[in-house]
Amino acid sequence: MAAAAVVESLLSNPAAAHLGTGLPGGFLSGFEHPLSGLDHLLAMVSVGLWGAFLGRPLIYVLPVVFPGLMVAGAIMGMFVVPLPPVQVGIALSVLVLGGCIALSAKAPIWAATLIVALFAVFHGYAHGKELPSAADPLNYSAGFVLATGLLHVSGISLGFLNDRPRGLLATRSLGGVIAAAGAWFLYQAVRA
Amino acid sequence: MRGGVLPPALLFAALGLALAFTPRRTWVPSILVLLATLAVFTFIIVPRSWLDGVFLACWISVIATAATVHRTRGLSPYAAVGLSLNTGVWASVVVSLSGARLDLLKALPWVLILLPASWLVGRYAPIPVKVLSSWIIVIAVLAATLQLLPVTPGYLPDHMD
Repeated sequence: MAAAAVVESLLSNPAAAHLGTGLPGGFLSGFEHPLSGLDHLLAMVSVGLWGAFLGRPLIYVLPVVFPGLMVAGAIMGMFVVPLPPVQVGIALSVLVLGGCIALSAKAPIWAATLIVALFAVFHGYAHGKELPSAADPLNYSAGFVLATGLLHVSGISLGFLNDRPRGLLATRSLGGVIAAAGAWFLYQAVRA
Repeated sequence: MRGGVLPPALLFAALGLALAFTPRRTWVPSILVLLATLAVFTFIIVPRSWLDGVFLACWISVIATAATVHRTRGLSPYAAVGLSLNTGVWASVVVSLSGARLDLLKALPWVLILLPASWLVGRYAPIPVKVLSSWIIVIAVLAATLQLLPVTPGYLPDHMD
């Protein structure tokens, strides 16, 4: 019964009050949002995967730092604080994080934290600009924070492949594919 | 729309995660204090004009409660009971101002997150609990900020309403 109440409280979505004017946002649309954009999705998974490469403490520091700074970026987005081109920042995040995985870059704690924090601001900014128009911003925020966290966790889970034969090759190759996608996003962002 | 189940659910979940870092003997008094506070404050009538202040206090409570998991020495039994009292007050007041009493019952099971969290903490694996608490803090910070927005969030009437 308790489990049923928990599930019901998560899935209960208020009626969309802003159809046609903005995001008809509730928990589910917030949850879907990070999954719907490939650039966001690849960056979030990369944070977890790179954390797995770097080991303790970064394996858990990065998934804590990213949402924390993402919220700072989201607040900047809500208040429309000027920022360098956000799409370029997001594309760069995919390129750099994918590159770090492909090269198995062992950055020091401060550097890895700084890189992830910087990119988190750009991702948060993009989310934050859309957040106020959501019909239910609170449930929307809860959905996208949870989805973001789960993407980090899936990246960390992919990192467990490193302990298997040829696993390291597979994850580094995946990093290469992510970096290539980042280069494509960057090309598109600069052209736009 | 900003009331409903989610604000008390986040408060209860934050409390559950915080209690996971306390000795088991504090659980029963803490939960009893929580239930008693909920029972008392649900029937207290709060002026409607306090809505924004009550929500802000609720989010600050969520942040403070969830942040206690990062204390290196954990929580003392008195602090745990104090947190339960605080949680009970703000959860019931927030629901009485912007929800139905049933919302409290729907949200209350979130405190049971204490069980898996304490299982993890007991096995020297507190990291997922700390990561989860950081996500709860992020949601609360966002929700608190939304109140200060210069633009119209979705829960307020706008030119379309």
